[in-house]
Amino acid sequence: MSAIINISTGQLLLALVFILIAQISSFIYHLGLNRDITVGTIRTFAQLFLMGYVLTYILKTSNPFLVLSVFMVMVVSAMFIIKGRVKEKQIPYIIPTFLTMLVSYLATALFVSGLVVGITPWWEPRYFIPAGGMVIGNSMSALAISLERLFRDMRQQKELVEMKLCLGADYREASIDIFRNAVSAGMIPSINAMMGVGLVFIPGMMSGQILAGTDPLIAIRYQIVVMLMLVGSTAVSSVVVMLFVRRRCFGSGEEVLMSPR
Amino acid sequence: MTSLLEIRNLSFAYDGSTSLVFDQLDLTVQEGDYILVKGPSGSGKSTLLRLICRLNQPQGGSILFQGNNITTIPPAKLRSAVSYVAQIPQMIDASVEENLLLPFTFAINQAKTRPGTDELRELLRKYYLADVSPSQSAMKLSIGQKQRLAIMRALLQNPLLLLLDEPTSALDQDSAAMVFSIMESLNTEHGKTLITVTHIDYKPVTVSPITYNLAHRSLHMLP
Repeated sequence: MSAIINISTGQLLLALVFILIAQISSFIYHLGLNRDITVGTIRTFAQLFLMGYVLTYILKTSNPFLVLSVFMVMVVSAMFIIKGRVKEKQIPYIIPTFLTMLVSYLATALFVSGLVVGITPWWEPRYFIPAGGMVIGNSMSALAISLERLFRDMRQQKELVEMKLCLGADYREASIDIFRNAVSAGMIPSINAMMGVGLVFIPGMMSGQILAGTDPLIAIRYQIVVMLMLVGSTAVSSVVVMLFVRRRCFGSGEEVLMSPR
Repeated sequence: MTSLLEIRNLSFAYDGSTSLVFDQLDLTVQEGDYILVKGPSGSGKSTLLRLICRLNQPQGGSILFQGNNITTIPPAKLRSAVSYVAQIPQMIDASVEENLLLPFTFAINQAKTRPGTDELRELLRKYYLADVSPSQSAMKLSIGQKQRLAIMRALLQNPLLLLLDEPTSALDQDSAAMVFSIMESLNTEHGKTLITVTHIDYKPVTVSPITYNLAHRSLHMLP
């Protein structure tokens, strides 16, 4: 394997030619995207350089609390993104969702870095932070989809759920279909990704490792672990969050609390 | 003797509203009673039935079923004994038979005897549904047929109290007459206790109801 080729500042700026092409297209065809392309380009440079510097510092650290703090910031950010996407005012879902995310993602990241990869110490930032990032990013989207589906279906099917309650169902029996649909809606993208991986697309992490000079046969092993980890963490977090949040959709008399919008 | 249902000083307001729908409302129901609650739209008739089976929670007062406060009875147990049939009948997307046997799929009803297909056919006939096959889709029935099926389904779990919410509001005259006839025979032939709310002028033929008017946030017995 040859050594990694560094990209100089000049070469980096040369890549801006792609942006120039996009800008020209937008200008000629009046797509109205020039401003967004400019802002997007600046943010890409700024956010990634910032992340690069932060990671350079974090990767050298030997302080587990600092690593866990970064992990915590990632989970809190994910929670805010979910809160922005799931517009639910009646049912308090933030705290159970946040706590489940924190515990299940921490357990997954620990399992992967500590047991599967077997790195010592378990919090070694080079492994722990990227593993955590992938789990959080992937499960965050799954949770947002599942929560949106749960709240939408509970509202739309309120009369049907109440009919079952009135025939002697407890709240779990009355909402089992809604629960199943919500969990599977969140999990389907991760399962589909397992179907297409290696055939339709080469995942980002594996591409990155190969570009950085890692033997593809080692890169695929990491990628397999990542794919399995994502499905597992998505399943666990979706099921646990849906169990907690579904209960909150019902009151103390197991009555449906959601009113139609 | 303990009453089947006793409502004392009930008060209720909808979420986020300060105006009371019920204030100091009282009602006593004995076993075998046939209660009619009349009142204009928006007077809270449906809400009263929903409070009795805990689909809504009151702000104050108490509801006792067989002498026990309903908040101390597990909700599923309460609702298998006090069955509420909503104004718009709800069916699952399945056959008539699966809809009728739905209550028996829930843990609380599993020890109860589930009727066989022949028994269901006989029941369908009694509910003016002789032309409906147990194997056909329930979703394709008319609203009047669904309403009768919903009452029949609620009865299959053998509740002690049946709550009917405007059971004929969406029905034509013929279907409404069938539903009223079913309601009355449930009381006269099977001794079922019924509370029916309605805004139409219905005068039972074979039973003597206890009739209340729901107005000014409370119930007033009519002569």
